[in-house]
Amino acid sequence: MIQTQTYLNVADNSGARKLMCIRVLGASNRKYAHIGDVIIAVVKEAIPNMPLKKSEVVRAVVVRTCKELKRKNGTSVQFDDNAAVVINQEGNPKGTRVFGPVARELRESDFTKIVSLAPEVL
Amino acid sequence: MRLEKCWFCSSTVYPGHGIQFVRNDAKVFRFCRSKCHKNFKMKRNPRKVKWTKAYRKLHGKELTQDTTFEFERRRNRPERYNRDLVDQTLNAIKKIEEVREKRESKFWESRMKGKKSQERKEAAVELEQNIHLVKAPGAMVAEPGLTLPKQQVKMKVKVSMPKQQQIQAVQE
Repeated sequence: MIQTQTYLNVADNSGARKLMCIRVLGASNRKYAHIGDVIIAVVKEAIPNMPLKKSEVVRAVVVRTCKELKRKNGTSVQFDDNAAVVINQEGNPKGTRVFGPVARELRESDFTKIVSLAPEVL
Repeated sequence: MRLEKCWFCSSTVYPGHGIQFVRNDAKVFRFCRSKCHKNFKMKRNPRKVKWTKAYRKLHGKELTQDTTFEFERRRNRPERYNRDLVDQTLNAIKKIEEVREKRESKFWESRMKGKKSQERKEAAVELEQNIHLVKAPGAMVAEPGLTLPKQQVKMKVKVSMPKQQQIQAVQE
């Protein structure tokens, strides 16, 4: 459950380290984003000498949430942290690597590139 | 469909039950119910919590090595469907379960062997040491403080009118 003001870890090497959600895309007045949803975020912490700078506004897709994810088959999956991957307008990741496990649901929302880059898909 | 084992209590996790926790190093922890999940979040060690399978096995309270456990194993090779094989397997499951139960009960019996005589011995020792606490039955008569208080007897109260007449009077 990601809402505005939520801080997220960055699960790629785009250069940002911490993001803060400032908008959930998908509908007007949408409250929460879950795994596979696109958000607008601001870079709160960045690694020096990288393309992304602090206070830059970016698009990102949520890949892990602390709130459990309920699957169609009845199982629920919960991750350690809230994390997102920075993407561009077309939906391709800005970084070249993805860190940590990601949920399989990303494939259904057409982020196959992220799924293929991830070291572990759960 | 796969029946997984709970990380904490080692019981079977049936489909639709429990929760899966994925740590950031991609290790998956499956829990059969919120009780186990909460205990995990409290950072408890299943080997130190008495009701878990891990504790019971570690402390010799249950069978640890048995050929019947060998049947319950992860097999990643898919088996080609065969009607006879399924039939045989289903029959074998029942049989194995029977054997396992028998062996477990035998193990329990051997574990509990000598328990009764040990208890008796302890009781005898206690009785001998604390014999001064036990008084002869005659002592109850001598000391009034030890006798039971008298029970109250129900008293009969006379009513002026018989019951039926009373009811009639009220209705009128």
